[in-house]
Amino acid sequence: MLTRLAGGHVIDPANRRDTIGDIFIRDGRIVDAPAGGTVDESYDISHKIVMAGAIDIHSHIAGSNETMGRLVLPEHRSHRSLLDGSHPGHFPRPAGTWNTFETGCTYAAMGFTTVVEPAVLPHQALQAHLELADIPIIDKATLTVLGNDDFLLNLLRRRESSSAIRDYAAWTLSTSRGLGIKVINAGGAAAFKDNLRVFSLDDEVPQYGVSSRAIVKALQHAVHELRLTHPLHVHCNNLGLAGNVETALATIEAAESLPLHLAHLQFYGYGKEGPRGFSSAGARLAEAVNTAKSVTIDVGQVMFGQTVTISCDVLRQFNARNSAHPKKWVICDGDSNGAGIVPYHYKATDFFNVVQWAVGLELFLLINDPWRIFFTTDHPNGAPFTAYPDILALLMDRDLRAEWMSRLPKDALEVTTLSSIAREYSLVDIATMTRAAPAKLLGLKDRGHLGVGALADIAVYSPGNDKATMFREAALVFKNGQLVVRDGTVCHAPFGRTLRADPDCENGIKVRMRDYYEERYALSPEFMMVADAVIGRPDPFEIVPCLN
Amino acid sequence: MGEAWIRGKSAPLDDAIAEAANIVAGSRQPVIAGLGTDVAGARAAIRLARLVGGVVDHMHSDALLRDLDVMREAGMMVTMPTEAHVRADFLLLVGPGLIEAWPALPERLFAKRRIVWLCPDAAAISASTYKNVAVVGDNPAELPAIVALVRARCAGRPVANAPIALATIDAFVAELKRVRFGVAVWSAARHDGLTIEMLCGLVNDLNAATRFSGLPLASADNAAAVQQVAGWMTGYPLRTGFGRGVPEHDPWRFEASRLVDSGEADCAVWISAYGARPPAWKRDLPLVALTGDPNTIRSHVTITVGRPGLDHDAVEHLATTGTLATVSARQPEAAASVASVLDKIITKLSAAHPC
Repeated sequence: MLTRLAGGHVIDPANRRDTIGDIFIRDGRIVDAPAGGTVDESYDISHKIVMAGAIDIHSHIAGSNETMGRLVLPEHRSHRSLLDGSHPGHFPRPAGTWNTFETGCTYAAMGFTTVVEPAVLPHQALQAHLELADIPIIDKATLTVLGNDDFLLNLLRRRESSSAIRDYAAWTLSTSRGLGIKVINAGGAAAFKDNLRVFSLDDEVPQYGVSSRAIVKALQHAVHELRLTHPLHVHCNNLGLAGNVETALATIEAAESLPLHLAHLQFYGYGKEGPRGFSSAGARLAEAVNTAKSVTIDVGQVMFGQTVTISCDVLRQFNARNSAHPKKWVICDGDSNGAGIVPYHYKATDFFNVVQWAVGLELFLLINDPWRIFFTTDHPNGAPFTAYPDILALLMDRDLRAEWMSRLPKDALEVTTLSSIAREYSLVDIATMTRAAPAKLLGLKDRGHLGVGALADIAVYSPGNDKATMFREAALVFKNGQLVVRDGTVCHAPFGRTLRADPDCENGIKVRMRDYYEERYALSPEFMMVADAVIGRPDPFEIVPCLN
Repeated sequence: MGEAWIRGKSAPLDDAIAEAANIVAGSRQPVIAGLGTDVAGARAAIRLARLVGGVVDHMHSDALLRDLDVMREAGMMVTMPTEAHVRADFLLLVGPGLIEAWPALPERLFAKRRIVWLCPDAAAISASTYKNVAVVGDNPAELPAIVALVRARCAGRPVANAPIALATIDAFVAELKRVRFGVAVWSAARHDGLTIEMLCGLVNDLNAATRFSGLPLASADNAAAVQQVAGWMTGYPLRTGFGRGVPEHDPWRFEASRLVDSGEADCAVWISAYGARPPAWKRDLPLVALTGDPNTIRSHVTITVGRPGLDHDAVEHLATTGTLATVSARQPEAAASVASVLDKIITKLSAAHPC
């Protein structure tokens, strides 16, 4: 069947297209305009905007920690209702919920078609994949967390070869079915087990004598040597602390010439200036990113309202538990990274929260290459992903930012540079940041663009003065060529697949890991395996080839 | 092959499934309970509940919610059984029911570390295998007071009316503060919620000076896994209903036994694939039973299902790892799985009421 989207404004930065034109779809892919063939189905999208389906590179949507958050916060109503101002304290929730089904539908309604869950602990990978399998419409991928695990730290302590580290990374990635590798507060969680409460890039993990920097560098090289499409994804040390910009700058410098992705950089954009000893270092950080061409970052924008922080940075979450709102929390001081669930309410009247909000926007507006900065809230840590349309509107409209700032405390804004920034994102910038660049960063050749051969993952928006409404309720969304959303409402909810890497995994490492698990845990590593047959969907995984 | 009965008479499986679908379709408030099943069965049960506006509850929800209530009203530090196995130098066993909840507990965690058991059940401690276990308190009824005393002395507060000698408590507190990594183990099936909250408060307090975490033992019948499935599919724990089209959670309103005994529910699907636990409710109502042993329950439709992880491959919560994992069938049988039976019922209902 041939489908035609006729007369839309096509914004496709990967193919340098920004014109009025048609898009043709056949068998789930974008095809050339047919020479005289019959069109079976046509949509008139004149006066509308067409982009590829959006890709979210960092959103905590699945796994045992996310579900622990759901269980701990029965009063935390749907992401959508958090934004409409309804009272968050109602119990039970009258309508809508925070579950796998709603996650897929809400993302799709905004025009997103691929989302990466960025923190899967190898021992808990099966649950993450089962949860992803219950998220409809969108395709998914995961990042596997290494860097606080005994096996890796021992390899480094014993100064084993880079090929041993590479083989271990490949084995873990293949058991956990990840697309890439992430490190979260490298060594910090391991140090927490020895009761350390602060841990920086050049601190050493007790017992192992390995620095955080050495862990990051070893994994960065392993990812590079495995030819994985996505660079090492780094959650730095000292998240959330005043003065932590120094940690972020040191980590950027440590990237050297190899690719490195720094996650939710907003949470590291803090200086110690000003009357409260807490200030924005967003401008300084943005400048460093502009200079360091091998580095990519995502923002982790904060928005005001109730949310819950969910993180495998157990050291940080433990320290944050006494600022929980409402007052309850779960800390898992478990294997390797552990995790923590701490509810939090960002307030528009709070000095620190307002600085955080401004730092995120400074990064968005002062980092000048939309191919190296990615659009995230670190869902749900900075804000639930349902806040995306409001953030896009703030980026595209300086008057809207001025209106927000007029209602925020002046003393907080004074320790930032936000009010001096005039830049406005264009639709091409938005399409680059949320479509073309993420596909490139993840190595997904047939996504993020509208060229011939691309997957027909397509979002059509109705432009208007209210940018937030435009991005919240897509006019039409196609997934694999099937219409799934019409006028912001899901009309069809098929299940997508999960993208994974498939690096070469030597037999030697399999034997070695079996011996290690037997000796250390008196267990077979079989319990970590993710088999296709138990996922409960036909053909649940799609392999993303490694780089040549 | 799976065996099935309709009103006590042997019937082909397909007929039993059709009859089960009829019973559920004619119901105004179905309850899908028991939920002793694997992850695939739990996912199918929740899909069925969503389709027919049903309620989901697990036979061990009371214990599940006792632990969860501490998390969602206060705070809890937990660890994983694998981490405890490797690193704990001190095990604090709290109250009765531990071996019953996790028979492999001694094998997995009793070697290579100091162990103190607060108020054990007599049967457990008389077993000579646990020679390295020191006992504090011998009456489980005194456990709440002893935990409170330990926490108070830990915080340096004066206490009165201690049921055991204060010197014993103080020596114990001094030991707790000296450990490198302590792990407190309990089974919510045998405690009230306030005792668990007090214990978790003690564990949190101890982290000011040392490393200490909790290890709540999971309830039987794969309850922990089913609770996780409910969490991701509905956004809530068990005792969740779909009657108004969207999931709503209420631990009182959606308790299966209350719904049945009060007459609010007019049909039930009872799932007990790990054996043959009958429902706790007293009232008769149209009942579809998916069970491992058909002789234990009187129902309108009975379908024998295989035991997950024994008769067919299954994803279950493992006490040993604290995670969901695939368990391969040890004696593969052609027995029907809960998921396969429920999926066929869902297909029948979807065909009858296209949505």
